[in-house]
Amino acid sequence: MTSGRDVRDILGLPVGGDPQKTSTQRKPKPAATVRRIQGVAREVAALYGERPPPVAVYEEKKTYRAKRQSTGPAKKWIQQPFMNQARTDGLVLKHWRRKRTNAPPAQDGEDTAMEDGENTEPYIESCGDFAKYNITADLPTFTDEEYDTHLRSDDWSREETDYLFELVQAYSYRWAVIWDRYDYQPSTKSHLAQETTNGDTSQALAALPFALPRQRSVEDLKARFYDISAKLMKLRIPEMQMDADQYSTYETLTKFDPVLERNRKTLAAALMNRNMDEVKEEEFLLAELQRINMAANRLDAEREELRARLDAPVPNPQLSAGLASFTSSQALQALFSQLFQQDRSKKRASGAGPGPGRLSISASDLIATPSSAQAQISANRRQSMAQPPIQTPVKQLSPPQEYRFNVSTHERLTSGVTFGSDKLLKMRQAKSNVQTQKIAAALAELGISEVISIPTSKVGEVFEQLVTKVGKLLDVRKVREKEEGECRVLQAMKERRASEVQQDGTNADDAAHSNTTLTPGAKQVIPDSQESPDRDEDGEDEDAEGDADADADADGEVDVDAEGEEDDEDAEGEEESTRQVSEAMSTRGQSASAGHKRSASVLSQASNKSSKRARK
Amino acid sequence: MNIPNSSTAPAPGEYAGDEVSAIVLDPGYSTTRAGFAGEDVPKSVCPSFYGQIDADSSSQYLFGENAIHTPRANLQIKNPWGADGIVEDWETATKIWEYAITSRLTGTKPSDPTKNGLNDGTNANGDAMDVDMDAVENQEKPLEDSPLLVTEPGWNSAKAREKYIEIAMEEWGTPAFYLQKTGVLAAFASGKASGIIIDVGASHTSVTPVLDGMVLRKGVQKSPLAGNFVSNQIRLIFKQSQPEVPLTPHYMVKSKTQVDAGAPAQAIYRNFDVPPTDSFRRYEEERVLTEFKESVVEIWPGPGRLSNTGNEDIAKSMPGRPFEMPDGWNQVFGAERFRPAESLFDANAAIQDSENPRPKDEQTIPRLVQAAVQHVDADQRPLLLQNIVVTGGSTLLYKFNDRLNYEINSIYPSTRNKLIAPGQVVERKYAAWIGGSILASLGSFHQLWISRKEYEEHGANIVEKRCR
Repeated sequence: MTSGRDVRDILGLPVGGDPQKTSTQRKPKPAATVRRIQGVAREVAALYGERPPPVAVYEEKKTYRAKRQSTGPAKKWIQQPFMNQARTDGLVLKHWRRKRTNAPPAQDGEDTAMEDGENTEPYIESCGDFAKYNITADLPTFTDEEYDTHLRSDDWSREETDYLFELVQAYSYRWAVIWDRYDYQPSTKSHLAQETTNGDTSQALAALPFALPRQRSVEDLKARFYDISAKLMKLRIPEMQMDADQYSTYETLTKFDPVLERNRKTLAAALMNRNMDEVKEEEFLLAELQRINMAANRLDAEREELRARLDAPVPNPQLSAGLASFTSSQALQALFSQLFQQDRSKKRASGAGPGPGRLSISASDLIATPSSAQAQISANRRQSMAQPPIQTPVKQLSPPQEYRFNVSTHERLTSGVTFGSDKLLKMRQAKSNVQTQKIAAALAELGISEVISIPTSKVGEVFEQLVTKVGKLLDVRKVREKEEGECRVLQAMKERRASEVQQDGTNADDAAHSNTTLTPGAKQVIPDSQESPDRDEDGEDEDAEGDADADADADGEVDVDAEGEEDDEDAEGEEESTRQVSEAMSTRGQSASAGHKRSASVLSQASNKSSKRARK
Repeated sequence: MNIPNSSTAPAPGEYAGDEVSAIVLDPGYSTTRAGFAGEDVPKSVCPSFYGQIDADSSSQYLFGENAIHTPRANLQIKNPWGADGIVEDWETATKIWEYAITSRLTGTKPSDPTKNGLNDGTNANGDAMDVDMDAVENQEKPLEDSPLLVTEPGWNSAKAREKYIEIAMEEWGTPAFYLQKTGVLAAFASGKASGIIIDVGASHTSVTPVLDGMVLRKGVQKSPLAGNFVSNQIRLIFKQSQPEVPLTPHYMVKSKTQVDAGAPAQAIYRNFDVPPTDSFRRYEEERVLTEFKESVVEIWPGPGRLSNTGNEDIAKSMPGRPFEMPDGWNQVFGAERFRPAESLFDANAAIQDSENPRPKDEQTIPRLVQAAVQHVDADQRPLLLQNIVVTGGSTLLYKFNDRLNYEINSIYPSTRNKLIAPGQVVERKYAAWIGGSILASLGSFHQLWISRKEYEEHGANIVEKRCR
């Protein structure tokens, strides 16, 4: 019902323009269908209808072979005589070749052309195409003089040597063929000549082997030839001047051993001449071997699986092998040098100046080190195992023995591998940066180098204790400073009150005196509170001592405290054990708790912290 | 545009070919093969047997297949080859070989115009005639412009080798000559430069180890257990069987009628005024036997020998093969068809009588191979055993290769042994010729020819130096 016009009207399209549009849209379509498909007959194309065929039709190009170019009459072939350049006798053979077209093509007719061909002089082609196949083997050559001086042999006459060289040349080093054709017939003439020249009978007897035709083996021939070749090579090029190739050739020539070669060939022949039973037996044995190997592999795999299931530790083959290898003194020496290298490289990397730590391993350590290294390795190995293997019976060691062999037992182990040095480094670090620096300063004061050369577990333990003590020391110092500060504040307040009282009623002399006693203390407080972490601890100590002196006439408790601290400081300076410190701590703690509640709480906190650190 | 396909010849550079229209002559005991180098089969194959009719003073020689099979009075069939596998009668051998070459290859030269009498009288100049006569002498030689490659057995004597070159140079006037051993050429025909060549021919079986195209002389083995020996065995079997198997050659039979198997022949025989000689009859019988060998005789293929327990029964259970003689007598041959050729491998199996003694154990093919290998350097043995080339007409006996393979593998069980036996009959029969054809058509072979000049310079013994 609704015509296109209505729709357009609704859509608000212009009415006038669309008939043209539709015509333009419609026009190309018939053109496309009408377009003829190339290479298809019009009738066939008509059968397609409107739709083009689903299969693309490619027009087949008309590919006729190019018409043979007529190049005049058939080319003539002639039996061209030729000479091979490899021949020296000038044998002329004939082969078929295109006739050369040096004469202009005949214009009159064939007959004249033929006559022309006959008239030209017989041309002999020189054919060098196959001369390259005419190759001869290179042979070492020698002069008579060289032969007499260097190459003489009791077993070989000159004639036979020449004959051998001739054969080698003729058969191009094919030793099997040379041996096959080797048929040396010593000429009777030379033999006679030899006899006449050598008057006495012994000489003649010595020369006799030459006369007898001998059956020489391939190895004999090779040995003689190689011997001569090697000698000549050495004569031509001295050994020193030979390059690598020449020398290797020389070496192979000199190393030829006819006996060995003969034995090898006997074996090879025996191997070939085995009978069927032997071959079958070998095959059977090989099959059996393979079967056994396969069974063993399967068994191994099963065991492996079982072990994995039982979660048994896999023995480290490398380590065990390493241990086994340390049984010899040489291996231990090697290990020591390796450790020495590591030590040195570590030193170089850290670049540490001369410190109290070990700088180098001296030669005197050489004897002691291997055992310690072994012990270390055994310790490492024990550590690397999650639990000691069940199969091996655990030998109970007495404590001194345990100490001696560096045996340690652990209740719980963290997974993974850690370096001892890492552990030590971790201990140095506190939570805050300032604290860390303080610890470092304290350690430096004690003369402990930043890198501890051999961080064994024992060293670790001692270091841990030391760090704990340092931590405690620092805590104590902090507390003391705080106390002192409070004391000073209180004193200042007291003095102010006193001065007020004095201003009210006392004389000025007293006030002046108190001022003189106070000012140095007040002056010292200010730098103390603002003390930079870089500052010398010695100065601090002095300050502290000064403070203590200054506070001497403060209440007795504080005095006792100060004294205790002094002792403490002395003890640490001497690197004594912690006993005194703990004593001082306890006295301090008791005194503090007796004195001020606040400071006691601080102390307990500090002790908590230190205990926590220790646990860590 | 040159599209390479099977019909276009490869470019000369590809196979190093450069033909000089050389002729290859491969004389054997049974047939003489000749043809142009570069072709794949010999164009001329003619029997090495020749016919001789002795007249009063001179004897007439007959050559070629057509001539010698015709029954004629007093026709004797002879063979120039000796019992040792070396040519004995050089004079006739030369004639046979010349016949083989000229009958099919070069053709007989047209007689010279100055000599044939047609131009008599026209030429008045006598001096010129004399000069021409020399030229005529030279021109008459059959191989004027073809180099010649001749094959020889591996055990040929030095004297015989010199004889070859003398014939070629003096009598045939060839410009270039070369002598090569059949073993090497047979290996070349199979595309091998090294290998063991087992050649079972008519008169001799030979085993030749070849290394890099050179025969290892110490290893060359030969034995008379070959085609003729098998024929002889068949004769003995025929003779010894009950009733005796009649052996009548074709030329005797005028017409035949069909008879039942084993029944006596009913044929009309020819009558000759002067019957042909025994040698002729024997030669014709040999043809029948050849047919018998081709169609009936089988070799026990293994495993084991025919005489092994149980094998005879298996052989008996196999279907037989019928054979009909030219006169109509026929029979199905069962287990006995395995017997004649068994002695090639097992000397004990040979059929013997007073004239034909038992062959030696060393003459059997497996023992020959073993002996040949034994004479080769130990390093080369496995290589040679990998290339065992089988050639010769008698190797076409049915199942020959199966048995040979079994025998060699039982001798050398630990090496990889490979038989190379061309399937084509022609290639098997004429392997040596084909190898010669390949060799002589190579461009690189040009430098190996012994030229006429060299021959004239050094004499006949140059062949020893050059053809190693």
